Amino acid sequence: MKVTYNWLKEFVEIKIPAKELADKLTMAGLEVVSLEEKDGDFILEIEITSNRPDWLSVLGVAREVAAITNSKLKTKIQKPKTKTDKANLKIEVEDKKDCPLYTARIIRNVKVGPSPGWLSKRLESVGCRSVNNVVDITNYVLFELGEPLHAFDLDKLNPERIVVRRAKAGEKITTIDGETRDLNSAVLVIADKVKAAAVAGVMGGKESEVGPATRNILLEAAVFDPVVVRRCRQELGLQSESSYRFERGVDPGMVEQASLRAAQLCGEYCLAQEASFSSSGSSKSKARSVKLNTVQAAEVLGIAIAAPKIKQILSRLGFRIKQKAKNILAVQVPSYRQDVKLEVDLIEEVARVFGYERIPVSLPAIKPQVTLNTKRDLASGIKKMLVGLGLSEVITYSLTDKATLNSLGVDFGAQPIAIMNPLSQEQEVLRPTLLAGLGRAVSLNFNQKQEYVAIFEIANIFRAENKPKEELTLGIALSGTKSCLFEQGRVKDEAGFLKLKGIIDTIFARLGISGYRLNNQGSTVEIRIQNERAGLMLSLSPQALNKFNIKNKNVFMLELSLDKALSFIRQDKRFIPLPRFPGISRDISFILKEEISAQEILVLLKEKGQPLLSEVRITDYYKGSQIPDGYRGLTLSCFYSSNERTLAENEIQPTHELLCAELIRQFGVKLR
Amino acid sequence: MDINAVNAQIDADIREVNSPGALEQFRLKYLGRKGLVAELTSAIPGLPQEERARFGREANALKSKLLGLIEEKQKAVSGSPGQAAPAAGDLGLPGISQNLGQLHPLTQVTDEICTIFSRMGFSVMEGPEIESEYNNFTGLNIPLEHPSREAFDTFYLKDYAKMLLRSHTSPVQVRQMKEQKPPLAIVVPGRVYRPDAVDASHSFMFHQIEGFMVDKGIKFSDLKGILEMFARAVFGNDIRMRFRPHFFPFTEPSAEVDISCIICKGKGCSVCGRKGWLEILGSGMIHPNVFQQVGIDARRYTGFAFGLGVERIAMLKYGINDIRLFFENDLRFLRQF
Repeated sequence: MKVTYNWLKEFVEIKIPAKELADKLTMAGLEVVSLEEKDGDFILEIEITSNRPDWLSVLGVAREVAAITNSKLKTKIQKPKTKTDKANLKIEVEDKKDCPLYTARIIRNVKVGPSPGWLSKRLESVGCRSVNNVVDITNYVLFELGEPLHAFDLDKLNPERIVVRRAKAGEKITTIDGETRDLNSAVLVIADKVKAAAVAGVMGGKESEVGPATRNILLEAAVFDPVVVRRCRQELGLQSESSYRFERGVDPGMVEQASLRAAQLCGEYCLAQEASFSSSGSSKSKARSVKLNTVQAAEVLGIAIAAPKIKQILSRLGFRIKQKAKNILAVQVPSYRQDVKLEVDLIEEVARVFGYERIPVSLPAIKPQVTLNTKRDLASGIKKMLVGLGLSEVITYSLTDKATLNSLGVDFGAQPIAIMNPLSQEQEVLRPTLLAGLGRAVSLNFNQKQEYVAIFEIANIFRAENKPKEELTLGIALSGTKSCLFEQGRVKDEAGFLKLKGIIDTIFARLGISGYRLNNQGSTVEIRIQNERAGLMLSLSPQALNKFNIKNKNVFMLELSLDKALSFIRQDKRFIPLPRFPGISRDISFILKEEISAQEILVLLKEKGQPLLSEVRITDYYKGSQIPDGYRGLTLSCFYSSNERTLAENEIQPTHELLCAELIRQFGVKLR
Repeated sequence: MDINAVNAQIDADIREVNSPGALEQFRLKYLGRKGLVAELTSAIPGLPQEERARFGREANALKSKLLGLIEEKQKAVSGSPGQAAPAAGDLGLPGISQNLGQLHPLTQVTDEICTIFSRMGFSVMEGPEIESEYNNFTGLNIPLEHPSREAFDTFYLKDYAKMLLRSHTSPVQVRQMKEQKPPLAIVVPGRVYRPDAVDASHSFMFHQIEGFMVDKGIKFSDLKGILEMFARAVFGNDIRMRFRPHFFPFTEPSAEVDISCIICKGKGCSVCGRKGWLEILGSGMIHPNVFQQVGIDARRYTGFAFGLGVERIAMLKYGINDIRLFFENDLRFLRQF
């Protein structure tokens, strides 16, 4: 909202320059976001928080200036004169809750024309376009006193009565902006006997708009229910300076004064004569009284502000104070401060004007609760392992579109959770997988000429079950070829399933997760931990690659439910005594048919090598010109040891020979 | 074999040793698996009973002497010419290492902030991203039909009544205060969502960190103290801070917290919009209505709460000018942190 320095000066004595005033207002909670000098005046643009509708006027800001500069408000507003002629106009309010107070002032013989220069200039300085003298006066009073007014062309209304009612189904109105709008029962209207003439608190109707031909006007000043105005505004998608104020709450105590002020200005600048006045409802509401314990205030703030200072601050802000007991004040809240309901509200007022910067700094005694190995800690540990393995963490959007999900060609169990009010199709559902986001990130990086992409994300995925379900999940994507430089020169390293497996092996070993199995289903591999399905690995299908616009590259992905995996963690480590006797290592090299899984070989050897074989590892695998088609070479390293003695060569020989024989017998391998 | 003869042989041999290679030869000759000492020791079982002990002692003395000599000679021959240590070669070639990946800058900033508060004694907790309308709004003293809701535009779920994507991390306040009794000192990092059109400074998904503390006698001055410690830890000791009155439905009194612009040191520049100040977080004393909603007695307990945007802090800290960079995941961007 904009106000000007000179306009404020009409309401309060200001002895400090505009810049200093702006700083003081900012530090009192009226953040001045810009200060502009124009034609000998200063325009202050202030951000007003939604709890302070009373600040949406020059008068309201002036009250604040009076409090923070400790000067007096000039009471420019005259109390309404007693006994204006009662107008011969009936006001009917259908529901007092929608409209607690409605006043109509009839002003005759106005001469509608351009506004005087000072008026249009002042309105323009606060961002309001000049229309004509009558409309400008209503706007001027709105900005000055915060009470929205509306002037109807009286002769365009059926003069019998004014009705404040909900719109009927099928009813229409053309508003001043020229739009014809369909109304419904959520919309409150001001109507005459026949039809709607204005959308209450939002905008007037075109038909009864004040124009050059207008002779007589009906000046409305009222209070409408904030929620009703809010709904009307949302329903019609129409916002105005009036609706903005009504939604936040206008001061019922200002209605009659504002109406009178406008009438006086009309008299002065529109040659208007004769005024009569009708009203429905009451501007008098019982003033709220809130107790303030000054000891409590000191306890909440951490500083004891002297009682006289507290009283001074509150009374400058318009509160009335009575000392009830030692340390106890009864504070009467003015009608424009509907936000003040509790003691803390008063404490904030005192602290604000006193100055937050004058409140000291202290440190509380914290009684810590130590929590370790929370899900977050474990996830954080996994992130660090992955970074150590050369992967970069990404963060992708939790919202996605169905088409991308479908292109992955993976069944995610339940349907994704749909969003009711997405801004675009890309936000239509909550993702049931991390893979789509990873696919997009891979694609973006290939477009930026990366040759190798290794990324991961740890985040929630979402599934529509009885209740919407969130599951903490790890997603990994590997793609492309990495060039590694070693002492012997360049080695090309391609992404593939075994890399994903290596990552899983490393993480699971660190977390103490055992008994997991990889169920090979071709281009998809299921990850099972102790027989529970916990995730999958896959290579993207050509359709999916196409959807992500990835060309000439394979993408290998992994998705693992951390919620599931973390339930299998064993962190209770036990020391196993180190071997006391050295062991003997023997290699076996052989070729075997490709379809025989290395896993089967290892299982066989471990079983047949008992009790001397303590470890067997695959140390090499190879294919090439020396290996016949359909075969591959494998080198195993067998380690024999005993807990009782140092083994001699001749002791292990029978076992080692047995293992070689079993490999030949069961798998038909050819030893090399 | 005569031990004295061996002894003399040792003295003669050691004088000849003048390189690490020769020393190793010497070691193998006497102490190797088939060396002279082993030979002597293996002879022991064949000796008459009365000689075994003496011979054993002499063999051991010989062994200690050898070890001593070798150690001494080691110092003399190392660094001697003849056998050079490998040279460094061309160090203009790239070093060989496992390439590390990196944590996302938002994770790094989140971790840093959580660590600061952890060290002050706060626990780090998390909460769900799908929330009830109650936890997101009503429980936090945000009436459903109120202009204060405007600041919290929200994504709602289609098939679940009154369920939404949390628009801030504050619902975790409601959850934790219902679940646990004071004293509480908790920080909550997490993703939040608001239907904002995406541009350089807006994103429909972003990250917040919420913090709150509830106990007897918690004061506004404590809030100032804790946040000042935090801001200095993140932005350095030479920043200035200010607490500006503001409005949040869930705190009263409320304050926005500014730090002096870290770019221009408060003189005014494009980053701070010529103001000299940067807003970094919102805070205040927990509203009695919130305490009432969660069943904490507001006459016995007070508390403060604060919330900050992780993207905002990261953008300030690293000088990032476009929020969209965080979610594009361009490796050239990520590798800078």
